[in-house]
Amino acid sequence: MTVFIAILITGAGTYLMRGGFIFLLAERQFPPLALRTLTYVAPAVMGALVMSMLTTPEGSIQIGVPEFAGLAVAAILAAKTRNHSVTLAGGLLVFWLCLWLI
Amino acid sequence: MSERQRYIKQGLLTVLPLFVPVIPFALAFGIAVDVAGIAPLLGWSSTPLMFGGAAQITLLTLLGEGASMAAAVTAALIVGARHLLYSVTMAPYFRHQPRWFRWVGPYVLIDQVFMLASTFEARHDPDAFRWFYLSAGFMFWFLWMLFTGIGLFIGPIVPDAWQLSFAIPILFIGLLAAGINSWQQVAVAVVAAGVTVALASLPNRSGLLIGATLGIALGFLFERFRR
Repeated sequence: MTVFIAILITGAGTYLMRGGFIFLLAERQFPPLALRTLTYVAPAVMGALVMSMLTTPEGSIQIGVPEFAGLAVAAILAAKTRNHSVTLAGGLLVFWLCLWLI
Repeated sequence: MSERQRYIKQGLLTVLPLFVPVIPFALAFGIAVDVAGIAPLLGWSSTPLMFGGAAQITLLTLLGEGASMAAAVTAALIVGARHLLYSVTMAPYFRHQPRWFRWVGPYVLIDQVFMLASTFEARHDPDAFRWFYLSAGFMFWFLWMLFTGIGLFIGPIVPDAWQLSFAIPILFIGLLAAGINSWQQVAVAVVAAGVTVALASLPNRSGLLIGATLGIALGFLFERFRR
């Protein structure tokens, strides 16, 4: 029962975080500076998210040659092709190849 | 094919390659539920009720480790706090939309849907935006329902040596690189990433939020002093 209540509360909180500003701000006109600043949300959050995935909860970074090579190849492929299948296949192949060689 | 059908089809199809790297995450979810000793159906109920991968795993893992309900819920909400930023960013696109869409849309506002919607080429056309957003969002939702269910059975038996979970950072760096169009955005991503690493030992992954916030602050300065 505790688990289910915890799921319900977190689910409601998650929904409110996703919807809060949409409910509050959808009727308002945004100033241009605010709109231009919002174009930085995606790169900032994604950059932070990737690094957060590569660190342990204790704070040590888990990135060796295979990880670095895989991510670098994925970033280049994504920027050049904008195709997510190619990006994933290329990044994972390089990652596994390095794991196997080293 | 009508314009509407075209955007719906585009939304459904764009999601497929993005979902492939999420499959290992669904398996990791299955492992987390198994390790936490939570009944499979109860664990799976977090999928429709929360619809957020990392937050679900955080909540169930902490509960399984014996954390108090308040501590586990707080940690899971902090992990998901970046959604506040998505909500602000998406608000202008919900301006010329029917009321029901403002209530349904946030339910599927996950990382990938945010990235797809904020880089969708016809996002300034309210109808196109709505069709694309809903078809991509609910396609992702449907697949996550299905694969977290499968993950409960398969997760506990996949060999660790494959390191399949590395597909997830690859997915996100791909989304990042495909969405960048200026050196200022590169600088913002690098600063956010660097600060997150420097603050990685803070509890509940709060370094992520501080890193992202400082990155956005830098972006604000770029725009404020742009000539």
